[in-house]
Amino acid sequence: MVAPAEQVLLQRIREGRLVEGPEHATERYLEGLKRTLVVSADTELISAPAYLRAARHAPSLNAYVSALGIIQDELGHAHIAYRLLEDLGVDTEALVYERSPEDFKYPYAFDVPLDSWTELVVANAFYDRAGFVLLGDIFRHTSYGPWKRALVKVDREENFHLRHGERWMEILASDPSTKAELQRAVDWMFVMTLEWFGLPDHLKRHTEQIEYGLKGSTNDQLRQQWMSTAVPLCERLGLKVPAHYDPDRGQYVIDCPFPAEFDEASKRWRFEEGPVSWDAVLARWRRRGPANEEFVEQLQRGWRQLRAVA
Amino acid sequence: MPTAEQVREVLRSVLDPEYPVSVVDLGLVRGVEVDGAVVRVRLTFTSLGCPCVELIQEDVRRAVLQLEGVEEVVVEQVFEPWSRQHISPEGLRRLREVGVV
Repeated sequence: MVAPAEQVLLQRIREGRLVEGPEHATERYLEGLKRTLVVSADTELISAPAYLRAARHAPSLNAYVSALGIIQDELGHAHIAYRLLEDLGVDTEALVYERSPEDFKYPYAFDVPLDSWTELVVANAFYDRAGFVLLGDIFRHTSYGPWKRALVKVDREENFHLRHGERWMEILASDPSTKAELQRAVDWMFVMTLEWFGLPDHLKRHTEQIEYGLKGSTNDQLRQQWMSTAVPLCERLGLKVPAHYDPDRGQYVIDCPFPAEFDEASKRWRFEEGPVSWDAVLARWRRRGPANEEFVEQLQRGWRQLRAVA
Repeated sequence: MPTAEQVREVLRSVLDPEYPVSVVDLGLVRGVEVDGAVVRVRLTFTSLGCPCVELIQEDVRRAVLQLEGVEEVVVEQVFEPWSRQHISPEGLRRLREVGVV
């Protein structure tokens, strides 16, 4: 079947009718959709080894089971996105098991290993909230029908992850002996999540993605949306974060040099060096971070071993 | 003192942490007993490894404490067998809406 022309597709999207498959789309739309799906799938998938590494530090059996439940959800979410890619003709086995670690498309944040239960629950409260904001935007605005329907369940489950993270942050904040460690985790992970949303709007135009209904809001709007719940959470728990609400401007303002250089060894932002360019950030992302190879290796090891004996 | 029926009613406001279904419709509440200012709730879970045990217990305790005259809530984990047959018709309808059953 000949794919309809660009105008027919754009008309369909403007009328709010969903794209149900390649027969409704153009090559350019499908390429954009696949790129977006790969980022989502890779992000959910890599969170499994990243969270599992830290779950070992769970303070009780119930806490450990909660952490494992979250990891299982994330694998389910990854499976949904890869399955949608498979339906679009992508060889997902090669995509997951044969890609080089540095070619995975998840945010740099997951390359920085989580080393404690405290960092894991802050990841649930911050990183899963970023995922929730991004996927919520896609759920509301995507023009691709199969993805929209699949996201109903994903959205509900991410809710539980956020609550788990918030509940544990509350517990850790209520005791001075654990609050200091919590604050240290917040110090690097808050800015790490701000960075997650990518280039600011004056450097990145989203015309194509928004025209195609692949996303509804811009990077800066999504970053604002994340801060609008993450900042009040931290303020309520008496945790300091480098951002505040400015009533005159009607938005959140970042109070530290941003973007900044990140010291991977000490997990600390080098604010004293002032802001760096987004080109420097993109270069760091492309180099990938300390745990990239370890996590991808963990995902691919079993597949390679099976293939060796088959 | 609330009646056991009133306790069950307030438990209809306690939702599963993942899906918009109450613990009553989900079939998790296996008994309610009011003994003066003390309320005992017998709770089961959908699996032995349910990741939400602590959240659900806290929510149940918080909700029942809102009832006038209640001073203590004892949640007893009973781990009685649970299957989808225990979900009420209303619960099934809501789970279908979010694509779960």
